[in-house]
Amino acid sequence: MNLYLAAFGFGLVSVSVIAIAAVGFTMQFGITNMINLAYGEVMIVSAYAAYYLNHAGVTIWVGLILGAVVGALFSFLLNRLLYAPFQRKGTAPIGMVIVALAASLMIANLLLPIVGFYTSSYQQDPGPVLRAGGLVLTTVQVVIIVLALLLMLSIHGLLRYTRLGKAMRATAANPTLARNCGIPTGRVIDAVWLITGALCGMAGVVAGMNSENFAVSSGAGYLITILAAAVLGGAGQPYGAMIGALIIGMITELSAAVISPEYKEVVAFGILVLVMVLRPQGLLAKRGALAAAG
Amino acid sequence: MLLLAACGGGTNTSGGGLGSGDLLVGVIAPFTGADAGLGPAYYAACLPASLAINNNGGVGGRKLACKQFDTRGEPADAVPAANQMIASNSNLMVAIGCTSDEAATVAPIMDRSHLPMFCMTGQSEFNKTTLKYFHRLVPPDEFDAYAMVGSALYGPNHSAYKKFALVFGNDIGSQAFVAPATKAITALGGNVVINQPITLGASSYRTEVAAMLGTHPDVILTEALGSAGTYLKEVKQQNGSTIPFIGTSATIDPVWFKQVSDAIGIDDVLKYYSAVDLGFTFSGPGYQEFLTQLTASTSTFADAVKYKQRGSTLHLYDGVIMSALAMVATNSKDPTVYNPKIKEIANGVSGATVVNTYKAGVDALKAGKSIRFVGAGGETNFNQYNNSQQGYLLVGVDKDGNEVTNGHLTEQQTQQVINAGGG
Repeated sequence: MNLYLAAFGFGLVSVSVIAIAAVGFTMQFGITNMINLAYGEVMIVSAYAAYYLNHAGVTIWVGLILGAVVGALFSFLLNRLLYAPFQRKGTAPIGMVIVALAASLMIANLLLPIVGFYTSSYQQDPGPVLRAGGLVLTTVQVVIIVLALLLMLSIHGLLRYTRLGKAMRATAANPTLARNCGIPTGRVIDAVWLITGALCGMAGVVAGMNSENFAVSSGAGYLITILAAAVLGGAGQPYGAMIGALIIGMITELSAAVISPEYKEVVAFGILVLVMVLRPQGLLAKRGALAAAG
Repeated sequence: MLLLAACGGGTNTSGGGLGSGDLLVGVIAPFTGADAGLGPAYYAACLPASLAINNNGGVGGRKLACKQFDTRGEPADAVPAANQMIASNSNLMVAIGCTSDEAATVAPIMDRSHLPMFCMTGQSEFNKTTLKYFHRLVPPDEFDAYAMVGSALYGPNHSAYKKFALVFGNDIGSQAFVAPATKAITALGGNVVINQPITLGASSYRTEVAAMLGTHPDVILTEALGSAGTYLKEVKQQNGSTIPFIGTSATIDPVWFKQVSDAIGIDDVLKYYSAVDLGFTFSGPGYQEFLTQLTASTSTFADAVKYKQRGSTLHLYDGVIMSALAMVATNSKDPTVYNPKIKEIANGVSGATVVNTYKAGVDALKAGKSIRFVGAGGETNFNQYNNSQQGYLLVGVDKDGNEVTNGHLTEQQTQQVINAGGG
């Protein structure tokens, strides 16, 4: 087996998982101006919803759909019941970060007595292992890659070619002007939370499928990688998050092959720091889909 | 998350040197984080001990309670946890837990506060510790490493493995196994084909597994708590089958068993997994008393009974009982007085009466006898550094995760590996 080619294939899987999560996260920020630090916990809630369905004998692919629904509803309610009231009161951005952090801790600690601290696994058949050259991927991993591609294309289509997408971009660019132009920004923001929440939910399930084991404590780990991809690509920029996911996911796997697994996160986050030094606004700031309504 | 288990009813008081009011056992260990599976095993030690004591009059009438102090498995979080435990609880009798994750930082704090402790750390820095209140009922980690090498070379049902992959978490505790294992393997003619520290809690180890499989090892030696399931599943997927893996004594654990059996299937666990464990018999009056009280503890901690064959649970149960007996024996609540007595009760003095339960110990002390406590974990033999250790068993698990003894390392084999490793 060619280790580097294998690492490239594994990198594609990591990129796919990170991209699904990071695009949802960065869209939430780009359009609603909310750094949702509870994102990792919503992923875990969705992952557990799928887990219980899966362990009731239902295929994890149906669980994936349930995860998306749970993620969408949970995110929608999180915004309506918690974030939006604070934002309406004019809470400063740093205050909103603290609110999100509190939400994250509350969700995790409310979840612990229900699901326990034990790790959980889906009952899934990884399918035949596909080998091509040095690439070694299970069928499930290939499906995850294809799913991520479809979702990225869908997000692109949504933002570029639909009225809702254009309304989202207008709201992101200038919510007051958008409202004055007759765009129902409240409903647009609700739609954003539902759509990005669905991405978040799917990301949670896919991450659980990808890592074989997950637990309540996994949410914090997910969030670090998601934040890294989002910031690297340019906060609030969906295409930037895709590129960020590509860089973080690939470098993590390839550096494990080239240098040592011990240093794979050091290398990935080292590059993040380097980019931030050279280009503090991120790779695609002001040039992404949410920068201006077109 | 703090839980208070007030075991055995309300507060009794008594005068005299033992003081009055409830006594507390501080369970200072990871309850969250990557090593969150460790804390509950220690909490499960405290609960039956407190029941055994409280149901038999307490410590001079003082009831015992158990309280969790979460270190998150991080030294930075462990220090405030230890300080808070000591500062806010003047009734601490003993602390238990303090794993390799945090022992180096919290043990000196507890020692300065004259708090007797029973630590589940194998770090070699405690082999000749000067901390007077430190007690350890487990051998140093390197002895686990030696036992794993012994299992690979002399274990039953396989010929001696020659090519070793060392896959340990990159945390302090797990890495302590690597150097002694490498030295012993090399000295005994084996070959470490890869030493792979892995980041605990990562979402995947595919590239690491590909690199490891590329070295074609005969066996994997591992302690990657929290991540073994993910790693081994990827071994199975990429290799087409699991390869033999030998775990440390910490892998004899219900959480680890569930995670790994979920990941690779119970059949592969039964076929490919073996481990080493301390030489427990899981029998005798001391163990039976422990088991009875552990079963009764399920009303407080539903999972308690899962730890009925967890070595650390047995040891820490014994530690709490010995501490309580030391208080009774010295009729003192002052740890500077009863701490030295713990060793005497553990090792026994010439002519001491062997007791296996708290009640028997108290009865014997009241009768004016000196005692030696032989509890759930068997005999204790503290050396001058309050380190005690036993021999090793070669073990596996049954389909329910219960430990099954596969064989023993003879004294000669054990010594050979220890000498090879420079221990």
